[in-house]
Amino acid sequence: MDLSGRFGARSGNGVPFREVTGLESLHLGGGDEFRQMVLPENGGGFTALLELPPTRAVELLHSSSSSSSQATLHSVGTLTFPSNPILMERAARFSVIATEQNPNGNISGETTTSSVPSNEHIKTEPAETETSDQAAVEKQNNRCGKRKDFDKKVNSSTKKKSKSSEENEKLPYVHVRARRGQATDSHSLAERARREKINARMKLLQELVPGCDKIQGTALVLDEIINHVQSLQRQVEMLSMRLASVNPRIDFNLDTILASENGSLMDGSFNGTTMQLAWPHQVMETEQSYHHRQLQQPPPQQWPFDGLNQPVWGREENQDHGNDHNSLMVGSASLHPNQVKMEL
Amino acid sequence: MTHILTRERRERETHLMVDSLFPSIETTVDDASPESRQKRRRISETAKEAESSGINQESLKRWRTNRVQQIYASKLVEVLRRVRKGSNDGGKITSAAREIRDTADRVLAASACGTTRWSRAVLATRKHKKAKITGTRKPRKDTATERKRIKLPAVERKLKILGRLVPGCRKVTVPNLLDEATDYIAALEMQVRAMESLAELLEAAAPRST
Repeated sequence: MDLSGRFGARSGNGVPFREVTGLESLHLGGGDEFRQMVLPENGGGFTALLELPPTRAVELLHSSSSSSSQATLHSVGTLTFPSNPILMERAARFSVIATEQNPNGNISGETTTSSVPSNEHIKTEPAETETSDQAAVEKQNNRCGKRKDFDKKVNSSTKKKSKSSEENEKLPYVHVRARRGQATDSHSLAERARREKINARMKLLQELVPGCDKIQGTALVLDEIINHVQSLQRQVEMLSMRLASVNPRIDFNLDTILASENGSLMDGSFNGTTMQLAWPHQVMETEQSYHHRQLQQPPPQQWPFDGLNQPVWGREENQDHGNDHNSLMVGSASLHPNQVKMEL
Repeated sequence: MTHILTRERRERETHLMVDSLFPSIETTVDDASPESRQKRRRISETAKEAESSGINQESLKRWRTNRVQQIYASKLVEVLRRVRKGSNDGGKITSAAREIRDTADRVLAASACGTTRWSRAVLATRKHKKAKITGTRKPRKDTATERKRIKLPAVERKLKILGRLVPGCRKVTVPNLLDEATDYIAALEMQVRAMESLAELLEAAAPRST
């Protein structure tokens, strides 16, 4: 076809296939040619469409003003999509090339001017997607070698950019970009976004549950997660049984039990960070402070007993190791069983 | 029958105790229509898409700190001390154990401060879970097509099982379910660590000669 010949001539100019300049030249010079080609076949609608994607691409590449783009946006919406397959293919390739251009030149541009350009991107997508859908069949037939090589460029950077542009969006909708070589209809886009969300969370869960890193496949990972949750719940039951068996002994002689306890057992499991909560943390006392407290005999407290106990605790704060902020309150303990019994 | 009544009364006491421990928690039961909630959640969630992974990471971090474990353990001790045993014979250990587990779960949920769905569900539920387990099951003829229908969505089945395990997450969307499961697992691990150290402590302290 004439068009393909023209393309071959252009790209064979010795200029390394710099997409920007290629697009520009094609746009500026080729617009007229396209118009001449198309006018016999269709109305003026298609040329406007054909010019628009590269126009848009060029504008976006240079991250220029949004006013002109908005004007063109409206015109895009009102176009009817032509049926000429070859020109469709051209448009599709332009749009593809445009998207591929973005990673290198436009990452900073995209992230800084976040909402507006990405809006534009999204609105051009319907135009691009529709053209690409219609041209999908023709694409396979009419590929030439050079374009194939160009098409197969690695596009992980595009994917990353799409992800970052996604995440920078603060609008209620997730704006997803169609990635290279994947279907671009809205359903698969939405599905892909959903899949990415789910996969991100599955990764977190995999990190959380031990032994899930090696496993491949969602079902097996879920199996592991379920097993882990069940085992944790069973552990909680076992521990509660242990605590229940220990508890009867506590009610009787809590004072002596806790008094003979030294702080080391607590220190092994906890760090000695001070708690700033309004709720009183309980202080485990060493023997000396226990006797000290017995002498003091704090006034009868109602529950909760925040304000009353704070000054009392202040005296116990300076102990030998800095870690001993965590300990069980013995004085209150002696009162509570009494209180409980009195309530009942 | 009387011991059941006293057990219920005891449970109510512990409920009150736990609630008074955490006065500022909202215990809204999620009875609203799940669809509208899910839609609202989906919209708000997609709006916070950038923060979702951040939220997960920091929520995991908050369950791992030692300080949280400390807080939980001390609160648990406080509530445990108030738990009254009916008659402290050996036979009653299991009922006491169940009670302790329930209080422990409630204190755990309370330390989440109502930010997660499972914590709100744990705090809100007052009925015995056992009553719900014996649900009515329709007897089905196991035809080949039914078997195919049952077997195929294996992942979905597992997600349903996971939803049953995490409290209050039966009719929850998949990404939310995974979020809740993450937080729940982190919280459970913290609970196990705290109760373990507490049990060791008390067992070591208690005179075993009695």
